[in-house]
Amino acid sequence: MKDTFTMDCPQPRLLDETHQGVIGTGMDRPDGPQKVSGTAPYTADNPTEGVAHGALVRATVTRGRVAGIDRASIANLPGVIDVITDPRMTRNPAQGMAGEAPVQPGDAVHYHGQPIALVVAETFEAARDAAQRLKVTYTTENAAVTPENGEHEVGEPDAAGDFQRAFDSAEVQLDREYTTPSQVSAAMEPHAAIAEWKGNEVTLRAAQQMVRFNKAELADTLGIDESQVRILSPFVGGGFGSKLGLGPEAAAACIASQKLGRPVRVVMPRQTVFDCVLRRSETKQRVRLGATKDGRLTAISHDDQVSNLDGEGFAEPTSQASQFLYGADGLSFTQTVARIAATPAGSVRAPGEAVGMLAFESAVDELAQELGMDPLELRLKNIPATHPLDGRPYSVRRLADCLTGGAERFGWKDRAVKREGDWLVGMGMASAARSNMLVKSAARVRLTGDRAVVETDMTDIGTGTYAILAQITAEMLGLPPAQVEVRLGDSDLPGASGSGGSFGANSAGSATFLAAKDLRGQIAERLGCAVDDLTLQDGRARGANREVALSELVEAELTAEATIEAGETAETHFSSGFGAHFAEVAVNEWTGEVRVRRMLGVMAMGRILNEKTARSQAIGGMVWGIGGALTEEMVNDSRDGHVVTRDLANYHVAAHADVPRDMQVVFLEERDDWANPIQTKGIGELGISGAGAAVLNAIAHATGVRIYDFPATPDKVIAALEAKG
Amino acid sequence: MNITFLLNGREVALTDVSPTLTLLDWLRDTRGLTGTKEGCNEGDCGACTVMVTDERGARALNACILFVPQLDGKAVRTVEGIAQVDGTLHPVQQAMVAHHGSQCGFCTPGFVVSMATAQLNGDTGHDDALAGNLCRCTGYAPIIRAAQAAENQPVPAHMTDAPPAAAANPHAPETADALAALYAAQPDAVLVAGATDVGLWVTKQLRDLSAPIFLNRCRDLQQIEVTDKAIRIGAGVTMDRVRALMTDHHPSYAEMIRRYGSTQVRNAATIGGNVANGSPIGDNPPALIALNASLHLRHGDTRRALQIADFFLDYGKQDRAPGEFLEAISIPRQPDRLRVYKLSKRFDQDISAVCGAFAITTENGRVTGARIAFGGMAGIPKRARAVEAALQGKPWTEATLEAVRDAWAEDFQPLSDMRASASYRLEAARNMLSRYFLEDSGGASSVLEVRP
Repeated sequence: MKDTFTMDCPQPRLLDETHQGVIGTGMDRPDGPQKVSGTAPYTADNPTEGVAHGALVRATVTRGRVAGIDRASIANLPGVIDVITDPRMTRNPAQGMAGEAPVQPGDAVHYHGQPIALVVAETFEAARDAAQRLKVTYTTENAAVTPENGEHEVGEPDAAGDFQRAFDSAEVQLDREYTTPSQVSAAMEPHAAIAEWKGNEVTLRAAQQMVRFNKAELADTLGIDESQVRILSPFVGGGFGSKLGLGPEAAAACIASQKLGRPVRVVMPRQTVFDCVLRRSETKQRVRLGATKDGRLTAISHDDQVSNLDGEGFAEPTSQASQFLYGADGLSFTQTVARIAATPAGSVRAPGEAVGMLAFESAVDELAQELGMDPLELRLKNIPATHPLDGRPYSVRRLADCLTGGAERFGWKDRAVKREGDWLVGMGMASAARSNMLVKSAARVRLTGDRAVVETDMTDIGTGTYAILAQITAEMLGLPPAQVEVRLGDSDLPGASGSGGSFGANSAGSATFLAAKDLRGQIAERLGCAVDDLTLQDGRARGANREVALSELVEAELTAEATIEAGETAETHFSSGFGAHFAEVAVNEWTGEVRVRRMLGVMAMGRILNEKTARSQAIGGMVWGIGGALTEEMVNDSRDGHVVTRDLANYHVAAHADVPRDMQVVFLEERDDWANPIQTKGIGELGISGAGAAVLNAIAHATGVRIYDFPATPDKVIAALEAKG
Repeated sequence: MNITFLLNGREVALTDVSPTLTLLDWLRDTRGLTGTKEGCNEGDCGACTVMVTDERGARALNACILFVPQLDGKAVRTVEGIAQVDGTLHPVQQAMVAHHGSQCGFCTPGFVVSMATAQLNGDTGHDDALAGNLCRCTGYAPIIRAAQAAENQPVPAHMTDAPPAAAANPHAPETADALAALYAAQPDAVLVAGATDVGLWVTKQLRDLSAPIFLNRCRDLQQIEVTDKAIRIGAGVTMDRVRALMTDHHPSYAEMIRRYGSTQVRNAATIGGNVANGSPIGDNPPALIALNASLHLRHGDTRRALQIADFFLDYGKQDRAPGEFLEAISIPRQPDRLRVYKLSKRFDQDISAVCGAFAITTENGRVTGARIAFGGMAGIPKRARAVEAALQGKPWTEATLEAVRDAWAEDFQPLSDMRASASYRLEAARNMLSRYFLEDSGGASSVLEVRP
């Protein structure tokens, strides 16, 4: 059974009719015990007989060519094996879902810190030492390293109605510019790869998010067939976009291993991760809003300027959520990409919304202030009937319920600026939105007796895939989840969407569901009942007035493989997760320090598959919102573009004390029948989308001043307070 | 060097250990204990946290900036040694699974060891105990809930280690006299105390430390003596002990230390190391200058004392001769008028943009004494002498604060860098004096009290 199921019409809610009762529960993740005892094998942990260690040599110029590599300069260092240069080496990680080799620059240098060679040695220390001592000469060229100086590519606007006319004639206008700095994923596990060849086939252990695509990227990089490539990523220490595409460490490990005839391991030090893993672009955003005096939006425009390196197709989709959150008579969204010589930009958790909503939801809030209106009311009043740009109906949307329910729970109506000592206390809110996707995915489920095995190349990057695929299968086949084994992250298994864009659970989960559904049909056939009459629970099958243990009914293995892909529902309906974020902050009037006191996120994101993993995803996302609003900032040297904040001491992800103890998440019951057969929506990114804006709006409420250059660090807060006087 | 220590309950004897071999590299590469993770290799993230037990008890430390020779005569427990030998999970491990405190799981081993160490010590201040462990997935709340769930569970017996005796080690003197003789003879040696700074010379700059002298066995340097006249703190006293000491004498200083590095860093770092390395952004010197502390330096058998403010000559330059070392710091006993304000972009685990310390005494509404010092405002930790002079004898009023506004620019011409702009630094310094005044008159609240 390998037919592809296309999502062409709304699907029945089978998971609401099954009897095992495990779907949606907060089941502990099955991989938990391994993780807490240090036995979960991450890539760099794998002992490999005869392994050699590689260290990437990286460019110390911004643009030019490698003129010479003086191999003799390290030849006498003990333990050094070789310096690998190769036309197949890659410049940077592939963009997410590229499925083809990243740029292979040869001897060209396109940004400061770019990998240019791999030193291989008997020990990691020797490789690192030699990589640092290796003498490299360059020819150099001038290159723009700041967006202001880069070449600008201005895109065609996405538009509906006549924005300019609507804006010009609006009774109330707001026109604001915002800036956000580059950000990084900063997954806790640095990138790592171990490659080993047997004959003309290579096995790569690597920390990757999207094995199906990575396999194609590696084959294309090496110039071999996909059948010669196997990738293993059973445990990945966080991704957040940084491990979507095949990285230079993986390409280099494979090339070196092939040349040397032995396994090669390449682990990036943290600084290298900062320098040559894709960043989130800095943005310059202009938001223009027009409204009637009574608060009906008439004009919406959100233009943005982002940056990337030449040859990279990705552009941070900054205005993504602004295009469908609220309606107006005229809307217009124009993007400009500046080409600069810097670490290339790519997807970082919630590309677009994470920074776009900081600006857009700040502007909406400021408009409410100008109108003298409750920001909650303004948002409620402008929820559009259909997608403002293309008129598609929304699949299911509980934005209004999230806003009103959250406001009630948070005590929004009682908000008043308070003073506690020299701290000013205020409340802010923002809408949340993150569009929902289904990506082609396959999975196989095998059932022998009352034990099932799920097999797919899907990854678990911390999101809980091991848990939810076990739950879906257990629910469908009527088994305790402990009797379902989930095998992931092996490219020899059926190809899934991979983890990214919040679509992993929707996609791989649906494929697993369909495979299990197929098995239900096979079981019904054996039992001699119609599948609609089949009940599976606790390892027993009931139907046609019979009840038989699966262990008797399924003595020989039953197997089913299913593939799903998006279909007509994606054209006819618009699916997105929605929510509302609320924050209370205290701002010190003398120092400008901001302390988040409590946060609430109310979210409607389809069926919740596992209450525990979903909640953690949501809270984790909201903490990213705090980071984006207050601390996270990648700084590049404005002369040569090199990354200055290239460690976890200087790139400030939120630490414990930045996160309030009172951090709540509420899920509203929802099913999205148009999204996929398990009625889910993406979860991993909705928590971040809008959360930072709630914090920024709370600062504005507390202090009466707004920051337009994020993050709102103490110096900017003080400057704004001083300017106000 | 030859050393002996316990690893997860079993004795390990190593010979010819490189002085700069880090525990993390040894665990992962030599012993194959890969549960301990490398997240940053410089003590920022805590993924490599291990528990080290010595005669002072059990502490959490970062293995990435801990040199193996520092373990001589101690006991180490890694994440692999937290569960019982039969695989039964430790209460904190069970709670981490049940409360979903582990997502991607890469930071988890470090969290588990920090939590197990705190649980062993009966420490329920989870926010502080875990401040040195970064997590990018969970948002921390589930981890704190797990720590709370495990706090009253019985401590498994195997967690209490009995460190082995260590033989004398020529690179790790046991007394100040031995240290003085050794260092006078080898003035080019690098003194390694907690290695929270020197460790980065190795892991980040890849420097080779030829013949370092390890100070951690030098008991004389680890004494605290409180008399009617002074508090004398040995240079080798770690910052966790300084924090506990200051809680009684100068609580604002203690509170600043709570945000100084992390638990793992404070457990290793020494007050002497922080002063002697002369960093312009070290957080102890401003407080010590405001408290009018003296440094006790020693070379061979020659001792001298000087006021701490005079020790810092210029950026990267201190008044310390080759072979001379810091033996102790003494703080005169005084009524507590000290307030220390640390400003950083991130609240915990961040280098100060500005760290200001104020000790202002008043009598009958007039300023009778003012000692004010800052880190992050100049190339050295520096006193605000012009401001102090302008305050002297003036009425202790808001009008006086306004009147001294211009004096700040005489004292400081700070730099703009990625931590803060020059104008913010100057403004923040001025405003800190206003905070001090307000706190003194009961009108300000601490950064902690503002959060429920």
